[in-house]
Amino acid sequence: MNEDMTELARLGWVDPPLPGVLDAAREVLWSAVAAEMLATAPPDGTRAPGKAAAGQTAETPISQPRRDDPGA
Amino acid sequence: METDGALIERSARGRPDAFVEVVQRHEVAVYGFLARRAGRQAADDLLGEVWARAFAGRAGFDPVHPDARPWLYGIARNVLRAHWRAARAADQLPGRLAEDPWDDVIDRLDSAAAARARELVGAVRALPAEEREVLLLVAWEQLTPAQAAAALGIPQGTARSRLHRARAALRPVLAQTAGEDS
Repeated sequence: MNEDMTELARLGWVDPPLPGVLDAAREVLWSAVAAEMLATAPPDGTRAPGKAAAGQTAETPISQPRRDDPGA
Repeated sequence: METDGALIERSARGRPDAFVEVVQRHEVAVYGFLARRAGRQAADDLLGEVWARAFAGRAGFDPVHPDARPWLYGIARNVLRAHWRAARAADQLPGRLAEDPWDDVIDRLDSAAAARARELVGAVRALPAEEREVLLLVAWEQLTPAQAAAALGIPQGTARSRLHRARAALRPVLAQTAGEDS
């Protein structure tokens, strides 16, 4: 990093987050993950994770157009 | 090690739990992005929202990119904008430019550092917002100009020219503070 960026970077220093903060945020993610896994799991639970059921459309084709503005 | 792109693609192809590793890799960085711009308390509140939006939108991530940080910062930026809009609507920031992180920056500094930094902060504050955004993504988040462009959804050439203008504008102030050191 150039000297001017180093000087500026010092202004952006923040204390690391407390562990509880990261854990709480991960809980939000885990809720979404669990909801999706439950929604796609077969009723009898016999299908292995990662295997799409016949006719399932959860996968996103590689050729799908990408968004320019993430998270919009 | 599996790239972020590979993990995100796998998470979109029937293994949603693969996304957790992406979060674990970048959670401190994304927290810092939020805290630098909105303060630690807001970062505490908003980090989970970033993960929820990222997970919901992961099919839109191009897995050719090995590093997910620019994409995650783009999402975090949108989360911050929504947060600031809500704060303005609730009139929680009277008399203050809601998207201005610099009061928090100065508050974090001790008095000696603040005296030295105030002039630099003033110069950065005076930059056009679009130049300041690119500059801070490079200086604070250590993105390349190309990654900053991806985070902001702008062409790489635009990001580079904005960064060039911002650095040129800051050069006199930085030269002055460097002179005070010697």
